[in-house]
Amino acid sequence: MRIVRVISKLLEALSGNQRPTGTWGYRRCRAYQDSVESTCLAMLALCRQPGIELGRAVHALQGLQNADGSWPAFTGDEAEGCWTTALAVLSLIARRHATKSMTLGIQWLIDARGREANWLWRLKLSTLDNKVQFDPAKFGWSWVSGTTSWVIPTAFSIISLRQARQHGFNRTAELAERVTMGSNMLFDRMCPGGGWNSGNGIAFGMPVAPHIDATSIAMLALTGHEADRRVQSSLHWLLNRLPGCPSPYSLAWGVLALSAHRGIIPEVGEGLPGIAEQLTRLIENSVGIGDNCTLAVSALALEAINGENVFEVRT
Amino acid sequence: MTLDRRRLVIRAAGLTVGGIASVRLLPEEMLLRDRRAPRSRVAVLSAEQYSDRLVELLLAGLGEFHLDLGAKSVLLKPNLVEYIAGVEVNTNPLLVGAAAEAFLKLGAKRVVVGEGPGHQRDTYLVLAESGLEAQLGSQRISFVDLNRDELCKVPTRATYTGLDHLWLPRTVLASDFIVSMPKIKTHHWAGVTLSMKNMFGIVPGMKYGWPKNVLHWKGIHRSILDICATAPVHFVIADGVIAMEGNGPLHGTHRHLGKIVLADDPVAADFTCARLMGLDPNRVWHLNRAAHFLGNGSNHRIDLIGEALPPRAIPFNVLPEFAHLQTR
Repeated sequence: MRIVRVISKLLEALSGNQRPTGTWGYRRCRAYQDSVESTCLAMLALCRQPGIELGRAVHALQGLQNADGSWPAFTGDEAEGCWTTALAVLSLIARRHATKSMTLGIQWLIDARGREANWLWRLKLSTLDNKVQFDPAKFGWSWVSGTTSWVIPTAFSIISLRQARQHGFNRTAELAERVTMGSNMLFDRMCPGGGWNSGNGIAFGMPVAPHIDATSIAMLALTGHEADRRVQSSLHWLLNRLPGCPSPYSLAWGVLALSAHRGIIPEVGEGLPGIAEQLTRLIENSVGIGDNCTLAVSALALEAINGENVFEVRT
Repeated sequence: MTLDRRRLVIRAAGLTVGGIASVRLLPEEMLLRDRRAPRSRVAVLSAEQYSDRLVELLLAGLGEFHLDLGAKSVLLKPNLVEYIAGVEVNTNPLLVGAAAEAFLKLGAKRVVVGEGPGHQRDTYLVLAESGLEAQLGSQRISFVDLNRDELCKVPTRATYTGLDHLWLPRTVLASDFIVSMPKIKTHHWAGVTLSMKNMFGIVPGMKYGWPKNVLHWKGIHRSILDICATAPVHFVIADGVIAMEGNGPLHGTHRHLGKIVLADDPVAADFTCARLMGLDPNRVWHLNRAAHFLGNGSNHRIDLIGEALPPRAIPFNVLPEFAHLQTR
């Protein structure tokens, strides 16, 4: 009951922050641009709520789409396409209606790849430019076109493509191939001992520490790989890192990841209630979360505790 | 007549090709407006530790610059990268708090602190875990996440990256007085990270990603020059109380330098910091270039108004590829 009340408070705040254009900016109070990331996360949080009409948001999101099927990061951004395309596709998939916009977005994701997919760059990165330890033959998706693959864009793209396949919007071999390659890239970029940061586990011979959000989003992309000891060690890292985390944003991503993997290892099932309680308390005690992404992800996390995880892919 | 016309065409084509080639081969700074002040001022202050006495120290140091801050909005841009327990990675919160208090006492209309961490997407997490949130909260100073601020498209005022514009946060562009507050550190890609490199943090992740990979591909040194030419730094307060040497900016080791560097010119500040680190600033590519058009690097154009530089500094440890930076 308490969680339901907190979710309802979060969603009410989120609805109130919707801009007249139908979209959301990063923050509530200022004249921020429409942000595709905030809009998609808000749509995902609100899409299953009875009585909330998201038609205006869907229309606005589709209006922001580039001609090639990709999405920009914000209004006014260049039309070269970026990582938010994965989130836009995911929020359209959540509505379960096939649209031209969604189909174009899925195809753009299948075609988009990190710079190291090109053999020339791969050669450079594996011979001359190898201070950061990774296998450039394993590529995923970049933040911005023309740059290398990074963990969060790759993880979101995998989640979107896997959901597209799960709901029958695209069941091509090329989609499956990209998902496999992307998953291999994630494993390759894992930090020693488990978890992920923005991109690489080892740089200049030193292990780099994982981040909560990157680890959690990667874990959501890798559901179905639970038997893999690397996934298990990452789950353990997350379980140890989350207690005491002061940020609702990171904590919420952690809850989403753990919810998707509960039942896989006993520690997750045991640790999740305490971490969920920590998130609930943080939200209750916060004076007001001004950031729409945090509002949305927190609501999604609390819903996931009850089994409704929008990022989960059932295999 | 026909021959003359042909010669004319050939010569014109030759001149055009030659002109283009010259422009392409000339160092970029030769084509940029020289923005250097006739002289720059730098103050090196001794501070053995981070303490509440930093406000007095800064007020005394800032007083030497006779800054006109009346009714100006001040943006403090610390270096907030990542929280690693027990490691001094970020500009110390006590120094940031002291700078905020000092600028308010000197008449600033408003002081805000802004940063856009390069790798960590959860800015609030770094803010809270680093202790900066508590520090700013106790002083009622606002913090702006520059990775997610409202963005404005700004033409670049240098040509090193080839980008004709940058998207920059409105908070930065609307500030009257921008203060870069770096942590004095070595850097595994750029050699050093000082007040100019610190400005990488104003580039928004929401446009350029985490890290700001577009700019890495354009070249870190080149990007630093374009950013600093486009969003000018008005003042520098560099944290060298506990600096970092070796594999910076995250995995180096502490070096107790016991210094805070103030300057009215980021290039002069960085040259001075590099000298304090026992490194040759002229061998750091972006500093060398910046000293040709953006600010002063030469000792002859820098007035040291605080302490003198030590005659010999023990060079900071650096990664092998930056050994050439060490002065012997």
